[in-house]
Amino acid sequence: MSVLTLFVIIFVLFVLIRIMPGDPFPVERMTAEMIAQKRIELGLDKPLLEQFINYMSMLLSGSFGNGTSLYNGAPIKPILLACLENSFKIGVLAIAFGTTVGLTIGIIAALNRGTIIDGVCTIVSILGVCIPSYVFMIFLQYFFAYQIPFFPYFFDPSRFLFSSIMPSMSLSLLTISTVARFTRNELIEVMNSDYVKLAESKGIYGFELIRRHVLRNALIPVVTVIAPLVVDLLTGAMVMEKIYGVNGVGKLMVDAIAGEGIDYNYVLALSIVFSSLYIGIMLVLDILYGIIDPRIRLASKEG
Amino acid sequence: MKKIFALMMLALAMLTTACGGDDSSDDQLKVMLGSNVVSLDTAQATDLVSFEVIADCIDGLTQLDSEGRAVPAIAESFDVSSDGKIYTFHLRDAKWANGDDVTADDFVFAWRRHCQKAEEYSYMFGSTVACIKNADAVIKGGDPSTLGVKATDPKTLVVELDAPVSFFPSLMAFPTFYPINQKFYDALAEGTYGTSPDAYLSNGAFTLKTYMPGAANIQLEKNPSYWDAARVKLDGFSYQVVSSSDNALTAFKNKTLNVVEIRGNQVENVKNDPDLVKSLKIIPSGQLQYLSFNQDPKNHHAGALANANLRLAISNAIDRNSLVDNFIMNGSKATYTAIPLNFAPHAETGIYFADNQERYADWIGFDVDRAKKFLDAAKSELGKDTFELNMIYANDGGDTVIKVAQAIKSQVEENLPGVEINLQPMPKAEYLTNVTSNSYDVALTNWSPDYNDPMTFLTLWTTDGCEISEHWSNAAYDKLIADCTTGELAADYDGRWGAMYDAEKILLEQAVIAPLYTNARAMLISDNVNGIDFQATGIERVFKSAALK
Repeated sequence: MSVLTLFVIIFVLFVLIRIMPGDPFPVERMTAEMIAQKRIELGLDKPLLEQFINYMSMLLSGSFGNGTSLYNGAPIKPILLACLENSFKIGVLAIAFGTTVGLTIGIIAALNRGTIIDGVCTIVSILGVCIPSYVFMIFLQYFFAYQIPFFPYFFDPSRFLFSSIMPSMSLSLLTISTVARFTRNELIEVMNSDYVKLAESKGIYGFELIRRHVLRNALIPVVTVIAPLVVDLLTGAMVMEKIYGVNGVGKLMVDAIAGEGIDYNYVLALSIVFSSLYIGIMLVLDILYGIIDPRIRLASKEG
Repeated sequence: MKKIFALMMLALAMLTTACGGDDSSDDQLKVMLGSNVVSLDTAQATDLVSFEVIADCIDGLTQLDSEGRAVPAIAESFDVSSDGKIYTFHLRDAKWANGDDVTADDFVFAWRRHCQKAEEYSYMFGSTVACIKNADAVIKGGDPSTLGVKATDPKTLVVELDAPVSFFPSLMAFPTFYPINQKFYDALAEGTYGTSPDAYLSNGAFTLKTYMPGAANIQLEKNPSYWDAARVKLDGFSYQVVSSSDNALTAFKNKTLNVVEIRGNQVENVKNDPDLVKSLKIIPSGQLQYLSFNQDPKNHHAGALANANLRLAISNAIDRNSLVDNFIMNGSKATYTAIPLNFAPHAETGIYFADNQERYADWIGFDVDRAKKFLDAAKSELGKDTFELNMIYANDGGDTVIKVAQAIKSQVEENLPGVEINLQPMPKAEYLTNVTSNSYDVALTNWSPDYNDPMTFLTLWTTDGCEISEHWSNAAYDKLIADCTTGELAADYDGRWGAMYDAEKILLEQAVIAPLYTNARAMLISDNVNGIDFQATGIERVFKSAALK
């Protein structure tokens, strides 16, 4: 099923990219004759379907590693991998940071339900959803690299960890607020359940109660929201990588589309990576549901 | 849970220790690039940014001094035959960074390869520019070994031209004509040349330390085996790609970057800031901003712009001074010639080609009454009272062009009753498609000179010229250009110079284009940086002599 989805996605993307206005070459200094020659060389003069078949056969004959940039003929694979590595590291930091902070806020809010602390936590998490992440990115950059020049203004690969703090923090905003809201709501629900009340009546309170009896049950739904957030990070990364100057897949994608000429092969390769990532995560998620919560497995068997 | 907490604390501790020693950024020159490097391969590079970085790493036969004159680089000296058609370059003992000698064969290899690949800049070899023998045939797929360049011995390069080219030595400073070490190139995997520091070989002032295609951050270090290493004062420097000039300005204030370019309102703000204004430097460039009129009679607005009076009306209705003073504000200068200011000095007098801006004052200027007369003539000739024109422009190069387009719209509509301009901003790729597919009326566009001669502009408007086609064709104009490039005037410096004025006159009499202004760049350069050479053509910034105090 996933493979079929991927195939459909590739086909639709392939057609859409060809329809998109723009040419893979910068035509300013090329005569019409030279452009025609280049199109023939790259096989762009052939019918769309034939081009698609050629592309697919290239893809299947050894991953898109065989693909080269239409623009400069350089192989895509090493560049894509290097960019993926950067984006992945920052993304992992963002998820790690986002979930820990989000969980903490959620737990604090749930433990202090109805108090002013709960209110503050709720406001924080609502703000996190409302503020567009690029505003937050610029805000972070302005205050923590310019007003208080503590963090480096741009991402600096030679100081990877330190200079990726701001980029990953700025990406984690949505994760923090989503996780915080979910954690709070789930915790409250679980805390109202009979078995927690039983535990409380046995004299287990506070952190100990949360850790031993509440958190495990409350976390199940939280895990399910984290997965789609990982994909959201990719979209956030497109802006973030431009602002902080990170060589990542997001920047690569934007450059491939909005550069001098549209590099069809890059856009396709990146789209395939993005969509397989999405599909992969969804697949893992479906499997995870069953593992985490036996009830789902049972339910689907019965159904 | 305790474990997670402990892990978090550990991570935090690691981060804080990593924060120590943050001052390292202060002792290195950091320069802003406005866009990505397209390619470091001379055969593929098409943009000023790429040319600049290539020139940091590779030296050609000649280089330009701070006044734009050709001075020796890899070629120690050269001889010209009496008819100006054969150049013999004598190479010095220069080395590639891997220890190989730079030989004449390296040039032969690079040039043949470039013509064979027939990429955008291969036209530089052909009959409109360098006139290298057989270049046009090789570009069209001929045998590369027939190209008029050969190495008679490892240190002697002989170039045969089809016509004498007066600016040939300065042309050799342009990256298109730089050498490639064939042995090194052949050892690389296909398509990887210039995609990483290991796949790029310098013979110039710097070598790549970190780079990948599309890199946001590029680091260069001094090349100890550079032939002129004594001139290079920096141990290295780095580029940071910053597409937003607001971002760049903040980074400059923050001392993250030492050299940045700013635009529009920022220039005004900087002028009011006593600290920053000391760092402000206006660098004149040779880039011409102009309106291109689509004169194809089959154009979708019934080819109204094929009427010269309508074009003249528009050209005379634009207040160019107001554009540069109120909207661009970066030191750009109003221009009333087809050849921009600060560009193409006469070989003997040193006077710039477009020094006299009054030369065509009869046809171009800001004169609303005259514009209205032209418009009335156009109306009666075309039998129409209203004209609706679509003006396209690429809007991804910053907000200046957007403001200029809006200003032109309001000026033209106010001064020319009956003319309406629809603004159509779009990304550059889409804009180029519109231009090639002939779906525009007016294009707000610009052109940067590739070499220091008016011909880099004048060839744009020949019948078979590339770039934007105005669909304008004029036999007299074509003949003048042909005479100047390959014809009888090629060897006659002053005769050619005069003929180029005649050609420019035809352009402006008929308002084939409406020149607007010559761009300048407003740069902020911190006090401790000096020795950067700024040039109007080709490579805009040269860092060979740059130093950090």
